[in-house]
Amino acid sequence: MAFLKVKNVTREIFNNNGQYLKIIDDINFSVVDGEFLSLIGPSGCGKTTLLRVISGLDNPEKGEVTLAGEKIVKPSVSRGYVFQHGSLYPWETIRQNISSGIQVVQGKNFNQKLVDYFIEVMGLQGFEDAYPNQVSGGMAQRAALARSLVLNPQLLLLDEPMGALDAFTRVDVQNIIYKIWQEKKTTMILVTHDIDEAIYLSQRILVMTPHPGRVKEIVKNDLPFPRKRDSSEFLDTRKKLQQILNFK
Amino acid sequence: MGNSKQAILNRKYWKRWSLNWNVLSILAVVVALVENLLVTSSESVDNGPYRIFLLVFMFYLLFVYLVGSFFNLRVKFYSGHFAQLNLSLGILLCIQDLLTEKFGTLALPYFVSFAQILEQIRYDAVLLLESMISSLILWLISFVIGTLIGVVLGILLGRYRQFNYWSFPYLKVIGIIPAAAWMPLTMVVFPNSFLAEVFLIVLSVWFPVAFMTIGGVQSILPTYFEAAYTLGFNEHKIIQKVVIPGALPNIFTGIFTSLGLSFTMLVISEMIGAKVGLGWYINWAKSTGNYSQLYAAIVIMALLFSIIFALINKIQEKALRWRRTAS
Repeated sequence: MAFLKVKNVTREIFNNNGQYLKIIDDINFSVVDGEFLSLIGPSGCGKTTLLRVISGLDNPEKGEVTLAGEKIVKPSVSRGYVFQHGSLYPWETIRQNISSGIQVVQGKNFNQKLVDYFIEVMGLQGFEDAYPNQVSGGMAQRAALARSLVLNPQLLLLDEPMGALDAFTRVDVQNIIYKIWQEKKTTMILVTHDIDEAIYLSQRILVMTPHPGRVKEIVKNDLPFPRKRDSSEFLDTRKKLQQILNFK
Repeated sequence: MGNSKQAILNRKYWKRWSLNWNVLSILAVVVALVENLLVTSSESVDNGPYRIFLLVFMFYLLFVYLVGSFFNLRVKFYSGHFAQLNLSLGILLCIQDLLTEKFGTLALPYFVSFAQILEQIRYDAVLLLESMISSLILWLISFVIGTLIGVVLGILLGRYRQFNYWSFPYLKVIGIIPAAAWMPLTMVVFPNSFLAEVFLIVLSVWFPVAFMTIGGVQSILPTYFEAAYTLGFNEHKIIQKVVIPGALPNIFTGIFTSLGLSFTMLVISEMIGAKVGLGWYINWAKSTGNYSQLYAAIVIMALLFSIIFALINKIQEKALRWRRTAS
């Protein structure tokens, strides 16, 4: 049974010229429990808009999204959201940031051990008491990831969390996400414009086209884990996706 | 002593330590003292307190120099950095002494030597101390109330559209009026002058703080609020963990803006209605034509207000330490 259902979702806004503009149009797909799905497509295709609708940060003009049968109307701790960058509170230390959600949910005697566990998993030991603008971009993103994961979400939404990172750090964070998904089997939806990243991590890849954003194709990606970025199957999948995306 | 510590000190106290400047700064104070002792006065002034002051200053410089040279790196950087400034202070003291007390170029009663100001402070010490304490209490109470009102209103106005719609136009009109304009009314309406003074100072403080706070709240990145929603924050937590810390840099700007206004209003309101305080002391000096009293009060004010300013600056540094990048 489908865990997350996106039904006929359309999102429209007024643009600066006062015209009604469709950002995403009639999106339909579903995700099963424990699945890893990627949304890819050129910029302006509404990937992030779709993710925001799933999180409940935005509400669609038409259609609905349900999670385990319940309609999503507003954000909730059961749906973690990792922003592209700079969503850590600069006035809180790394540890305070990671604890901030769990502290609100569980109160003063929150599970400190869980916070310690994620600090270790993310390789942030020694930087717990640093402020976000004193650590590297990769560390900040790992901390943002930890902040969502300590809440043990049913669904983790990743909005290009590696988009602002350099190539080395990006692979590093990808591996951490892969490890966590393997261990916790948290359902994850990743927005990215990096084809390799999508192939490396996800079981299905949803390709979108812009103006307005529509689902072009959902590609099954059943290479065995862990994936090798230089294997011929990997390259074949990439070629196939590039064709769908009309790359030369 | 790590190199990193030295690097931090180097950034803060960037003027190089040198023996010459340290010795010259001590020498300048000695010259000022010798000059005061040897040159004959044209005015009759008790130079006792001034000479003690110069001696204390000289020994302080000597002490800092010795401690810095032999025991403490931080003190060394500090004394090295300020040696040239101290030298200029010694020279200025010497010059003002010559121009006023010695040659009478700048003559009494309007121009008073620093020696006479110090003598006046010694003579009026008890009264000045009482005045200073009562001014300080009045200022502290009023400034805290004014700042709290400003911050609370600023957050409400910045965060809640309905509240902003209904109250900001009125508050803006009230806030823009100089507090001093209400003075004739407050002196009559309030049961005692203390409350009237508190009211006037609060009136001069709340608006700049509120106005800056609104800007601060509205400049917080939307992502911070969205993250808060996905992390399960309720409105109370959002105010506590996002709005207040996010607006804090602007709140401090507002506090520093209103600080000067609050000092102005403190002195003015004490001049008009009070029977105590530094403002009253100045007014009293005016009525007796004793200008050295006026200068004495000004020196005390300069000291008091500088200390308050420095303290608030320290609080700001501590509260906004997260803004410092790599340390």
